[in-house]
Parts: sequence; C-alpha cells; structure tokens
Amino acid sequence: MKNFMMIFIGADYQELGLSPEELQNRMGKWFAWGQKMESQGILKGGEALVPNVKRVIGQKRTVSDGPFADSKEIIGGYYTVTAENADAVVEIAQDYPDYDLGGTVEIREIMVFDQ
Amino acid sequence: MMEHKIVDHLFRHHYGKMVAILTRYFGLSHIETIEDAVQDTFLKATLLWRKQIPENPEAWLTSVAKNRTIDLLRSSKAANNRSQKVALNTAAVVPMVEPFLDHEIEDSQLRMIFVACHPSLKPKEQIAFALRTISGFSSKEIAAALLTKENTIAKRLTRAKKAIIANKLQFDFPPASEMQARVVRVMEIIYLTFNEGFHSTNTENVVRGDLCGEAIRLCKLLLKKEKFRSGSLYALFALLCFHASRLESKTNAQNEIVDIRDQDRSTWYFPLIEMGNSAMNKAMAYDEVSAYHYEAAIAAEHLKAKTFAETDWERILDWYTKLQELQPSAFNLLHMAIVNLQLRNFEVAKQLLDTLPVSDLEQREYLYYGCYAEYYAKKNDLILAIPYLEKAILRTSNNQERRYLKQKKIALENRLKGSKNSKFS
Repeated sequence: MKNFMMIFIGADYQELGLSPEELQNRMGKWFAWGQKMESQGILKGGEALVPNVKRVIGQKRTVSDGPFADSKEIIGGYYTVTAENADAVVEIAQDYPDYDLGGTVEIREIMVFDQ
Repeated sequence: MMEHKIVDHLFRHHYGKMVAILTRYFGLSHIETIEDAVQDTFLKATLLWRKQIPENPEAWLTSVAKNRTIDLLRSSKAANNRSQKVALNTAAVVPMVEPFLDHEIEDSQLRMIFVACHPSLKPKEQIAFALRTISGFSSKEIAAALLTKENTIAKRLTRAKKAIIANKLQFDFPPASEMQARVVRVMEIIYLTFNEGFHSTNTENVVRGDLCGEAIRLCKLLLKKEKFRSGSLYALFALLCFHASRLESKTNAQNEIVDIRDQDRSTWYFPLIEMGNSAMNKAMAYDEVSAYHYEAAIAAEHLKAKTFAETDWERILDWYTKLQELQPSAFNLLHMAIVNLQLRNFEVAKQLLDTLPVSDLEQREYLYYGCYAEYYAKKNDLILAIPYLEKAILRTSNNQERRYLKQKKIALENRLKGSKNSKFS
C-alpha cells in the first residue's frame, strides 16, 4: 500500500456565494464521502486551507499578498489516503463533491525514502 | 451515514434565527455585518463538519456566529479609529446571556418581520428582505421564487438595508398607533410568500414546498403572541393549512401537475385540515370579516367534497361573489368564470372573461387563456379552444404547467380528430 495526497483545487465556496441551503447540501456530501473512506480505512488525514495567500518569491524574497491568480487555481484543502496505486485513488476521487462547481482533484503519491 | 439528514434545512432555518437574535444584541444598524458573520459561520461549518458533526449543531452555529460578529465589528471599529485603542467589549451593547432562549429567538424573529414590513421599505423590497433575513433564502433562490433576475433582488436587498440605516429604524415592534396597519402588511407578505410556493410560477419546483412551509411557520409565530391574534390572522392560518393539505397531491410521482379533478383525495393531509378547521372556528369568534375568511371558506368547500363531482359550486360562487365585493380583483373574476363553467353558466363565464382586466393577472395570465380554452372546449368548439391553449402555453414560465397544458392540447386535438372521423365515416 502507498500513501497519496488528494489536493482540492478551485470551487471556493466563499467566492461562489453559496446559499445556506446549498452550503448545507455540500457539507452533507463531504461528510458522507469522509465517512465512506473512514469506514474503508483509507482516510489518513487532511485539512482545509484558509483562502488568504502570502507568497515569498525569488532572490529578493519579495513578499506578496494574494489573491493572485484566478480562484480556480487556489488550493482549498487536501486529504491523505492509503491505496494500492494512483488508479485506485482516481476511483476514490469519484465521490469528490465539487466537480459541478468547477473543482479539480490532483492526486500525488507521497514519496518514500529508503533508509 | 444519515446524520446530515438530521440537520435538514438547519442552515437555512438557523440563518434567520441567528440574524434575528444577533440583531437584537448588536442593533439593526449592524445587520450587514451580522449577515456576513452568519454566512462565514456556515462556511466554517461546511469545512469543519466534513469530519464530524458537533453534538449540538445549533449551539455551535450560534456561538461561532456571535464571536464572528464581534470580530468583524471590532475590526471595522479599529479601521475607523486607527489611532485609538479599541476597548475589547465595545461590541457587546447589551450583555448577552447564552444559550439564547427559544422565546427570545422567537421574539427577535417577530421583530424582524415587523422591520421587514416597515413602510420606509417599498413593497417589493419588503418581501425580498423578509425572504432573505427571516427565511434565509439566497438572492438566487429568491429570484427563482419571484421570477425576477438575481441582480434585481440584490439591488432590492441593498436598498432595503440602506432604508433601514437612513431612517434609523429600531429593532422593535411598531407603536400601538401603527400596529394595526403593520400587522395587515405582515399578513400580506405571508400570504404572498405562500402563494408563490403554492402556485409556483417558478420554472423548477425546488423552493416551492419551502416557501409554503416558511409562510405557515411565520403565521404560527405570530399566533403565539396574544397581541397579534385576530380574526383575519386565524383565517389566514386556516387558509394556509387548507391549501397546504393538498400540496402533495398537486403533483404525481413523475412531478407532473394533477388537476384538482383528478387529485387523489385520500392523500390530502388530514392533520393540516384539522388545524385549519380549528383555526377557522377561532376566526369566527371575532367580529371582523376579511378576504382571508372567504378564501379559507372556498378552500374548505373544496376539501369537503368527497369527489370532484360532489363539489358545491353554487356555494363556492357565493363565497367568490362576497370576496369580490369586499376586495375586487382580476383573480376573483377569473375564478368566478371558472366556477360558472363548472355550473354550465357558459354565457356568464364568457362575459366575465371578456371584461376582466387581463394585465392585472401578470405572470398568471396563462390561466386566463386556459380558461377561455376550457370555455370553448365545454361548448365543443374545439377549433376555437386549441389556439387559446397555445396562447396559454406560450405565456407560462413554469415547465410543469407547460407540460400539463400541452397534454391538454393533445387531448383536445385527439378529440377534434375523433369528431372529424365520425363525421366522414
């Protein structure tokens, strides 16, 4: 088994101005997805990220405050999961609730270093 | 797995409660900040509750929203006087004791209803503001319910809030001298909200049941307080209950409209009918007679009939005539035409249709053309009936209504073909 990170990009609820009802429906879907992964023992952890961005760039270490690009490119959070291979994670990611809001899931394998 | 079901509509219902209770403590002038804070709280909840829904979701929401309001008020205060140190407790105008009590929340929501109906807000702003602030609908949902553009609703909401600030409205009940007029307006808003849900000019029917439920909830809230009780308020409540009892039977499993003629009367929800009856009895104990009394009487008459054929149309016509005397409207005339068609008083029906002010029907103009079609169909003049149905189809914005009218048209066309065939065979 390997560890993977599912990175959630775009679909910023705040930006989209979702109504209380819509927010609640979204939350229900996330909750159901989380429960499903948990019961299968594949969910290792994860966090949501505050959308404010600060970047330190280049030789001069220039500090700039977001927002930078389109909010479509902002990372909203991540989950780490354990799975056989990347294809299995693609399968898991089918249940990500926010594709209809233009959201993206990027799947990356977590590198393991030999002793 | 079903846990998110337990909190069905929690966010929307709680939106109104939180905005009301926080407004009571922080003041109506901060309503915009309060709304932002409540919205932020839901955002936070959607992230945090992904893993685990708290033991007491309502208490969690209220306490986070309160803290968020204080934060936002402080930071705007700090922005206003950068040079000064801001005292930490400036935000809390009134000492706040938690948990908030139910009667306190209800009282705050009632105050909010009266703010929504304040005469410094224009009628269209009043209903938008009420649906947003009390019922927690988004601009998009309100726009869908009222068949308006989303940015029109956003503008109305902005204007309403500006009017509140400009006129320094207080978060309070109106003085005794204005009470009567304001209660009348509150009832109108409730009635309009219900009608939007019940007749649903909305293209989709998502918000429809919600609007009816919201209207009933607000009416109940008013009835809890003795000072608001009146014959017309009880009659309004009865009317809403009577109509709502049929809500389920108005559409079938395929989400198609079912004519009252064909509705399964066994599915009419009896507890609501009973509640309506008891409210109607209470309404009768007062001297006043309102339009709501007559409308409730008409709705009750439909519910009394065991089958469509047993409907007492004479009685219904009588109620409509009284209603028209008390409060003339194009809708009454249209309904009187429909009832006269049932009674086969064709010429009376035609005369009513010919003279009623069609433009007053606004979005429901299609009903008028549908009624004309019915008139010609009943007189077996199918060639004239079909173009009226076509007109009705063109004028409706509701997909369900359109499907229903199209089916009617196909039925008429088949009848027409049948009659032609029999003539020539």
